[in-house]
Amino acid sequence: MPPLIHVVDDDASMRTALLKLLTEVGFEVRGYSSAGEFLLQDAPDRPGCVLLDMRMPGPSGLDLQAAMRRQNLMLPVIFLTGHATVASSVTAMKAGAVDFLTKPVKREVLLDALERALAADATRRTAQEDASRLQARFASLTPRQRQVFDHIVAGKLNKQIAYELDIAERTVKREREQVMLKLDASSVADLGRLAELLHQSPAR
Amino acid sequence: MRRHGSKIRWLRVAHALLTAFVLGFLPLSLHAAGEEDRVLMLYGVDPYLPPFLVMDRAVRETVVSQSGRRVLFFSESLDTQRVNLETIESELVSLFAKEYGALRINVVVAVSRTALDFFLRHGERLWPGARVVYLGFVGYEDVATKLPAGATAVVSILDAAGTIDIARRLQPLARRLVVISGTSEIDRTAERQAREALAKVGDRLSVEYLSGVPQAELVARVADEGPDSIIIYLVQFRDRDGRPYEPHDVLRAVVESSRAPVYGAAETYIGLGAVAGSAASYEARGRLVGEQVLQALAGRFPEPSRTVLAAPNRCIADARALRRWSLNERELPGDCQVLFKDVSVWRRYGWQIALTLAIVAAQAALIVGLLSQRRKRRLAEEAEQAQRAALGRAARLTTAGELTGAIAHEINQPLGAILTNVDTAELMLDSGRDRREELRRILDDIRRDDLRASEVIKRMRDLLGKQNLERKVFDLNDVVRELESIMRAEARRRSVALEIKRAPEAIAIMGDRVQIQQVLINLVLNAMDAVADQPEARRMVSVTVAQSESGAVLTVRDRGQGIAPEHQARLFESFFSTKPSGMGLGLSISRSIVEAHGGRVSADSDPVEGTVFRAELPLAAATGAS
Repeated sequence: MPPLIHVVDDDASMRTALLKLLTEVGFEVRGYSSAGEFLLQDAPDRPGCVLLDMRMPGPSGLDLQAAMRRQNLMLPVIFLTGHATVASSVTAMKAGAVDFLTKPVKREVLLDALERALAADATRRTAQEDASRLQARFASLTPRQRQVFDHIVAGKLNKQIAYELDIAERTVKREREQVMLKLDASSVADLGRLAELLHQSPAR
Repeated sequence: MRRHGSKIRWLRVAHALLTAFVLGFLPLSLHAAGEEDRVLMLYGVDPYLPPFLVMDRAVRETVVSQSGRRVLFFSESLDTQRVNLETIESELVSLFAKEYGALRINVVVAVSRTALDFFLRHGERLWPGARVVYLGFVGYEDVATKLPAGATAVVSILDAAGTIDIARRLQPLARRLVVISGTSEIDRTAERQAREALAKVGDRLSVEYLSGVPQAELVARVADEGPDSIIIYLVQFRDRDGRPYEPHDVLRAVVESSRAPVYGAAETYIGLGAVAGSAASYEARGRLVGEQVLQALAGRFPEPSRTVLAAPNRCIADARALRRWSLNERELPGDCQVLFKDVSVWRRYGWQIALTLAIVAAQAALIVGLLSQRRKRRLAEEAEQAQRAALGRAARLTTAGELTGAIAHEINQPLGAILTNVDTAELMLDSGRDRREELRRILDDIRRDDLRASEVIKRMRDLLGKQNLERKVFDLNDVVRELESIMRAEARRRSVALEIKRAPEAIAIMGDRVQIQQVLINLVLNAMDAVADQPEARRMVSVTVAQSESGAVLTVRDRGQGIAPEHQARLFESFFSTKPSGMGLGLSISRSIVEAHGGRVSADSDPVEGTVFRAELPLAAATGAS
């Protein structure tokens, strides 16, 4: 799916100019004249980023950034401002902005920033997809198999697992083979790495 | 010469003592008490010539001041130097006989030889019993023998020798000497004396006598003399053609045209341009005559005696003439009296000059004082004006500093759009397709944004860089409208909610629009400062333009904590500020601007409601201006 770029700027001419440029470069774009307008949109789940004017009437760019985080809208943010102060740029970067650009901005600089933002978005999306696939596999495990998995990644031997779960050691072996199969792992080390990914996954 | 002079002085002292002694016994002598003495001044010369005026006065003063009795003076003139006496003598005698028939004359003063001769011819008949005092000018050799018994003579020795001596002291290198005289009896006597004096000098000097040369020729002759010559002017009453002259006029003409220094043997010559000379003072001679008159009135001269006295000659010089011919005053004899020295003016009029100078100086000091006071006042006024202008500039710069962020935002917004549009246009051109319509729209956008940026700059320049005042009618709503974007930009920067309410109708104000904008910006920035530390709900500022019955009202309200009561009174003072970095100029300048527009500024403050600043301005129609 091609990326969609959101442009939030109260200044009509700046917004229009940005939309034209980005269209010409080949992006799909959407423009919003305020933070509220952006938040009220029916946000499609598409790769992209937000080009955000720092200073706007009503909620500012920083306010919008915070609101997006709360709503789990993970699109990368590039700030644009007519007049940068050190304080506002620090706040923006701390809040996870990809870039902080000052108007007037050169095309190359803007496109570089967009590229970085889209790359970051793509990376994030891939990671997210991997994690959800893993979760789906994990979800296919039976409760007994999950217990066995937990004990394996905890570094326990079959005998110890059988004893703790009060089941036969043979049963542990069979369930272990099933876990390796379902999770597409070939070794205990693979299982450990998957456990780590699962742990990081936001779905957990 | 000096010894001779002092001897004469002693004689005069003795005379004075004798006179005083005689006067003491006057009432007991010849004349009966109550009767007056009569003195006739008989002039054989023009009595109005300067030397005779001096002399006549000296005679009368001496007699009147020293006589114990009343003395009446009579005066007759036989001016024979210029009129031939023979033609009128018989008529004159019969006239005098009529005049003096009933009058007894005690003393006749005969001035000049002509007068003495007339007295000798007719005195016995006209003025019987009168004693004669003769005042002669030159020569006395034959006077003694001619004087009647009981007469006295005061003569002056025309001191040609002394005058020549002075001339040679001043001009020791002179090789040529010219003597000027006339053909009248006095003239010839003077010349004779000069010849005698010069005979003793020897032949080191070549001497020429100009005797009776008519004035025109004489003037030409002296003009030919070099500056090294000496010219001695004796006296010229008559020239060789019998033409009469006034001797002083001749001297004046000679002095005027001569290139050589001119010397003269008479007191009155000094002052007419002659350098120096040896002469008796006419005043001294007059006093001497007066003393002789007193003696005669007292009957001191016994019948057979004849007395001849001479007034002393002394050196006299003119400082101006010395300067004219570059002669050195120090070469003159030590007792020489130098007249017309500059210093003498100071000496004579010293206190008058001093007083005048003091008055002039006092006036000058007063004028200088007043002028300097005026200058000081003007400088102070200029300084005050300059200070006010400087304060205005400082306040504007402060405003500029506070607005930097807002200004940058306002300008960068269109600039950003322009740059982005240019980039887009470039990409469109590179695409190779015909996209003229799209390009045209982009160019329109660029033009619009460019104008927008320059409009912002122009407004800021007007607001911050203004020098000259305007008086024009403008709409107060426009003032607010033009600044709305910058005020909103600043409000966003500070996260302040800004509410702007304009009046529905036009509100016409007369004055300087930009100055009123400065007031607005100042009040709004102050309001934003006031709410800076407030919670978000109270970070509110509102600007309202309205019309009341009294005029236009510009209101700026904030929801801050208000103004401390102790600060309220000083709110509009210069350099009063409660802000740590405030200069304290904004409100004082705002007030002076509003007051210059005929309005007033007021502030109402409340810790709950916040502060309201109201600028009330008269409407243009109400100010009566067009």
